[in-house]
Order: sequence, then C-alpha cells, then structure tokens
Amino acid sequence: MEAFLGGMASLGDPFVVFMILAGTLIGITVGALPGISGSTTIALMLPLTLGLDPVVSLAFLGSIYCAANFGGSITAILVNAPGDPSASATALEGYKMAERGEAGMALGMSAVASAIGGIFSVVVMIIAAPLLSRAAYNFGPPEYLALALFGLSMCAAVGSDNPLKNLIAAALGVLLATVGIDLTTGVERYTFGFYDLTDGVSFVAALIGLFAVGEMLDQATQQMGKPTLLKMDAVRVPGRAEFRKCNRSIWLGSVIGTLVGVLPALGATAAALIGYNETRRWSKHKHEFGHGSIEGVAGPEAANNAAVGGCMVPTLALGIPGSATTAIILAGLIVQGVRPGPHLFTEQPTLLYAVFASMLAANILYLVIGLGAAKLFARISLIPASLLWPAVFVLSVIGAYGANQSMGDVWLMMGFGILGFLFRRIGFSPAPLIMGLVLGAMVEESLKQSLLIFGDGVVAGFAGRPIALVLFAITAVGLLAPPAYRLLSRMRQPQAREV
Amino acid sequence: MQEGSLVHRLVEGGSLRPGRRAVLLGAAGLGMLAAPSILRAQAAFGSRPIEIVTHAGVGGGTDITARMTAVDAAAALGTELIVVNKTGGSGAAALAYAAQRPKDGHTVLLLTQTHLITMLRSRTAAQIEDLVAVARATEDPQVVMVRADSPLANIDEFLSAGKSKGLRFGITHVGSVDHVATAGFAKAAGIRPPTAVPFRGGGDIVVNLVGGNIDVGLLNFAEGEAQIRAGEVRPLMVLSRERMSSLPDAPTARELKIDFVAATTRGYAVMKGTPEDRIARLEEGMLKGLRGPTFTNYLKTSGQAPDSVAGRAEWQAQLESFSRESQQALAELGVTR
Repeated sequence: MEAFLGGMASLGDPFVVFMILAGTLIGITVGALPGISGSTTIALMLPLTLGLDPVVSLAFLGSIYCAANFGGSITAILVNAPGDPSASATALEGYKMAERGEAGMALGMSAVASAIGGIFSVVVMIIAAPLLSRAAYNFGPPEYLALALFGLSMCAAVGSDNPLKNLIAAALGVLLATVGIDLTTGVERYTFGFYDLTDGVSFVAALIGLFAVGEMLDQATQQMGKPTLLKMDAVRVPGRAEFRKCNRSIWLGSVIGTLVGVLPALGATAAALIGYNETRRWSKHKHEFGHGSIEGVAGPEAANNAAVGGCMVPTLALGIPGSATTAIILAGLIVQGVRPGPHLFTEQPTLLYAVFASMLAANILYLVIGLGAAKLFARISLIPASLLWPAVFVLSVIGAYGANQSMGDVWLMMGFGILGFLFRRIGFSPAPLIMGLVLGAMVEESLKQSLLIFGDGVVAGFAGRPIALVLFAITAVGLLAPPAYRLLSRMRQPQAREV
Repeated sequence: MQEGSLVHRLVEGGSLRPGRRAVLLGAAGLGMLAAPSILRAQAAFGSRPIEIVTHAGVGGGTDITARMTAVDAAAALGTELIVVNKTGGSGAAALAYAAQRPKDGHTVLLLTQTHLITMLRSRTAAQIEDLVAVARATEDPQVVMVRADSPLANIDEFLSAGKSKGLRFGITHVGSVDHVATAGFAKAAGIRPPTAVPFRGGGDIVVNLVGGNIDVGLLNFAEGEAQIRAGEVRPLMVLSRERMSSLPDAPTARELKIDFVAATTRGYAVMKGTPEDRIARLEEGMLKGLRGPTFTNYLKTSGQAPDSVAGRAEWQAQLESFSRESQQALAELGVTR
C-alpha cells in the first residue's frame, strides 16, 4: 500500500505529468497515422529517454503505448484506414457509422470504451499481475491451437450477412497466412523470390489496402454531389442512451482484452478481433452488426486498450514481452537498470506503481482529449470526397512503405486495394479475411509445434491438456448448438400442432 | 531528396574544400541527374550521414544494438548515423541494399550469423567474400537452460537422458542460427539428434521451457534472466570460452568436456571495394562508439561481456570460421541450397 501511494505520488511531479501529456499527444497522433505504429515510435524515442530518470522515461513510453492504441481508431472510423493494426475491427463498424453521418458518435464511444478498457486492465494489473502472469506458463502450443480454432469458428458469422461469402473470404485469409518461410521446415512458400514476402504478407499493407484503398476505389466509382445536409449530425457525441446500450460490450471487451493481452503470443489485434466476435455473439442487436453497430465499436476498442495493460503483465512479471511494443519497452527497462521478473514486485515496487499510475493518467488524458476533440475530428467526415480521399491515399502509401521501409509493401497494398474494391462490389467483407490471416498462421504453427512436442503420443498429449480441451469443447458447442437447436425446434413444432 | 540533402549538408557543414564544394554545387545546379552515383562515390567521408543497414525490424535486439552504437559513434565520426531497417529474406534484402550503395564508407552493414546462413542457403547479392569486417559489437554467449525442477537439471542426468532419447530443444525456425547451434551442441555433447521445436522467438522458448512443453532451450542470458532469478530455470552450462560474469556458478561446456562454443554475435562490415583509409576511419569511429558510455552500459545491463567489442581483424577471422562451420552443419541438417 505504501509503495502504491509512493507510485501515485510520482504524479505530483510536474515534469512527470508534462511527459505523460507529451506522450499521450504523440501517441494519439502517431496512432492515428496509418503505418506509423506505437511500436515504431517507441523504438525511435527509446534512445532519447536513456538520459531521463527511469520513472519519467517509463511514464513517457507507457503513455505513448496507451494513447497510440486509442489513436488508431480515429482514422479507422473517419476514413476506414486503421491507424494501428489493432483498430482494424473498429473500422468494420465505425466507418459504417461515419458514412451514416454518425462520426462523432463513433469517436466518442471509442474514446470512452478505450479508456474504460485501459483503466480496467491497469487496475487488474495492479491487483493480480503476479498471479495472472502464471497463466502465461500454462499456455503452450496446444492451448494456442484451441484458442485460435475458437476464434476461427466464428468466421462465418462475422462480416457480411452471407455465411458462405464470409467463409470464402476467411479461407482466402488462411491461404494468405501460409505465405513466407515455414517455421517447421525453413522452406519458403509462395514468395516467388520476393524478399518482402519471406516474413509473410505484411499485415499493415494488407489492412491499409483492403480498408482504405479499397474504399477509395469504391468512392471513385460513385456519383458525386450527395446531399451533405444529412451529415450535420456528425458532430453529435454519444449520450446516456448509447452508453447504456454499450455497457455490456464495453465490459465484455475489457475482460477479454485483459485476458488475451496476458498471453505472450497474442496482442491487441487478436484481442480486438476476439472482442468483436464476442460482442456480436452476446449482443441483443445482432442485426446491426455489419451495418454500423455502435456496440461493434465499443467492444473491440475496449478490448484492444485492455490488452495494453494485459501485455504489460508478462512483460513486467516474467520479463517476457507480449507484443512488439512491450518488447521495446522491456529493452528500455533493462537499459535503465530495471530487472523485470517476479522479484520486481518486491524489489522495486515504487517504480512499478509509478508505471501503473502513469498508465492510468494516460488513459484519463486521452479520454479527455478524445471526447473534447471528437467534434473537431468528426468534421473530417464532412470534407468532400474529392479532397479527402486523395489525401488518404498519400497517407496510405507512406504508411505501407513506412512499416518495413519497402516499396514491395506498397505494391502489395495496391494489390490488396484492388481486392478490397472487388470485395465491396460482390458483397464480401474484409473482416473474415483479416481473421483468417491472423488466426490461420497461429493454427498452423501451434498445430505443428504441438505435434512435435507430443511426438508419438498425440492423442494422449492433447488429452492431458485440460485448458485446451475446454476451449475445444466451447468451440464444438458454438458450432453445433445452432443446428442442434434448429433441429430440436423443428421436431417440437409438429407435436405442438397435434396438441 | 538524397542529392538535395547532400548539397544542404555541404553548405551547412562546410566540411569540404571550397573547390570541390563549388564543383558539387555547380553540378547540382546544372541538374546532373545521371551523375549522382559518381558524385556519391566521391563524397568526402563524413559529409553525409552514415547509414547502418540492418535486417532486423525496429525494436529487436539487433536494431537496438545499432541505435545504441550510434549515440556515441556519431561524435567520433563527425556525422550522423541513421539506422536503415531493410527487413525481409532473413538478411537478403539488407545485403541487396548494401550491395547497390556506393562503396564510399557511408553504408555500414550490421551483420549477424543470420546473414551468413542466408548467404550459404541462397544466392544473395553479396557473399562472405564480398564483405570486409569493421568491428564486432556484441558477443552474447548461448546458455543451455532447462527447467529447474526437471531431472535434466543434473548434468549427468541430462547427458544420459540425451543419449537414450532425442530431447526436445526450442529453436527459432528450421535452418536458423539456433538450429545450427543446437545440432552442433548435440554432436559435441554426444547426445542423440534432438527434436527441434520451432518458435517465434526467445520469449516463447522460455515460456514453453517453464511450461514443460520442451526440455531444453539454447538462450541468451537476458532472455532467461527473470526465470533464472525466480528459480524456475536452471542454466546448465554456458557455451562460452570462459565463465560468464553474470552467471559465475554455471560451468562452461568445455569444463564438462564438451568442446562447443556458441554465441549471438553482431558486428559491422562494409562492402569490399570501400577505400582502405575509410575502413580504418570507420573502425576507429565505430570502436569509439562501441566503447562509449551508452553502449558499455547497454552491454552491462543486458548481461553481455564488455570484451564483446573487438576490432576488424578478430571479427573477420570469426566471420570466416563461422561461415565454414555453418556450411558443414547445414549440409548435415540437409538444408543447404
């Protein structure tokens, strides 16, 4: 408790507060720009923070991390270009809302859900980090396999209203996930000799192409001069009714995001996708999904920001980073002479709580900034398409190039842009493709790892993994329950008529 | 943009003799679009920022090595150092990029064993013969780690278990540096060829080691430090020539009659054809950077020995011997080109 108060007291230092504010503003900005991710920014800032006090530098890096995750949703909602890969799920519903003229509503909800998710996970981290971190050890390849299959099992329901089209898109995503060097054989697959493909299809290029460029091409085919009067509603921010509606999604997203974030192999992007699936599954307004559901913004936004706190758990408590960004923060910690690990909680608790306190502060700061500026940002959706989209295209090219400094990724983005355009024309959604791309690679890798680990005793091996079995069972129930239920009700109906 | 910044720097820095500056400015003014490669080749050393080309993405251990070097080397070399991340192809993209830059000492490759293995496995733009060593930055010994509460935590048990069945070793992908080291270690220790389970990185290997999914991990000290201190992982032996200062109680493999050393090694190199005097200046400047306070602190805090830093003669010899050994190991693993 003393350490906790000591950590909170570090917020009394005006310099610390200034650095948190600076970090938050930088984070929102880079988060909003496609291609410049929070992790790149933190890596670039790292050498600059070496001269600072550990508390100050960690507060600074931590607040960039928190705010960048929120910033990604701004461009995802306004121009369908997720500024950060973790915001791709937000674009699915958020952009549909902006198109309908509800940009302010989506932005406001994103700010609130993000902050609640972020604060929730930091509180969980304060209370249960040493305990939760043990869960990471219980998650080996078999458990990740079960979790990824669980995620994939939702593919048919996510995206458009046509399950068959969703499955086709998901299968395409899984196919694309096989590109690159195969971990278990070291053989290059479908790279055609291009260096840019050896590490697999660049996720950032795929996202920007499918969402932003695809949308631009689609816009280019439409008649100009839509009545803009309708959009004057754009600056309205969400009120009590909206929050009541999204209450359940926000909490669901927060819990899922925290748990997924704790697992070292999964980050904010996976958390947002799973958060989106589950929000839809438990929503009372399922029909709104795919057509601009405000719950579909709240759920994944709460989840991806909750994953930030979640990712810090294994980073601090085990010294094992849960994402690219935390890997860099870990390097920063080590250079500062901080030794992450279970003993950190007993040896340097004040520093630890100072980090938690600054993350709390950053979450509150971007909530204030995000809500305050939502009306301002929302006006971007009122800019005529002929001016807005060329600007978005320039940003997209820079973004695709920036991630790996490679022109190959820019061409890849263009290719995905055309694919995204065709998808829109024939009624496909990019959502299942993204899920296939993320989860397909995980299914393949964890399956091959499991088979190697279990050797000859594969069946016995899986039988001895209770967590994996439970996840397999939930997946099976999720897949089989709806048809079973339909069958049951069909059998019952004639009986009812007889009576 | 490159040429514009060149001219800008010349005017601003004034580091050139007036005669050449006038020529350069004149040339730029005339718009000699076809000439830039010649101009670049003649650019005075230190007149442009030096590019450190790495195959690693922003934020990994290799990238951080480059950024930590740059802090103090910039002052010693009298110019900026910028890190260029050319990811892809396990170093092939970085090699291709470096090979097409002018050989004027303004492009320095941050070389790792990954590059050497990639060169052996595919026809990259530059091969080992095309490179000249400049300075070694890090030599981070591999440590054989096992779960503290497993029977393998005893060295005799470990060796006898390894002789009766193939142990499960965690590695990064097949044909990687780890894989080569694992195979080499098994051979030197006289244990059966291990089952290599590939993971995405050192963090995943540690988690699966503690979780009991694999038996052994060949890891750097920093990757397993938290678990070693928590008593969950035991460093069985270190694969360095002498005991590590960060793990004074762990014997070296050689003390246990296993003649094998392995380390994650990173160092700087330039393309052959770079003028000799510039290589010498680069070596001097990079070594100053590597021995400066920032990099020394980085080595210390990440558990690496300060004698990681070495000059070009030692680094060149090491590169060549590693390349020879890897060629043989890859042939035995059946993954050569």
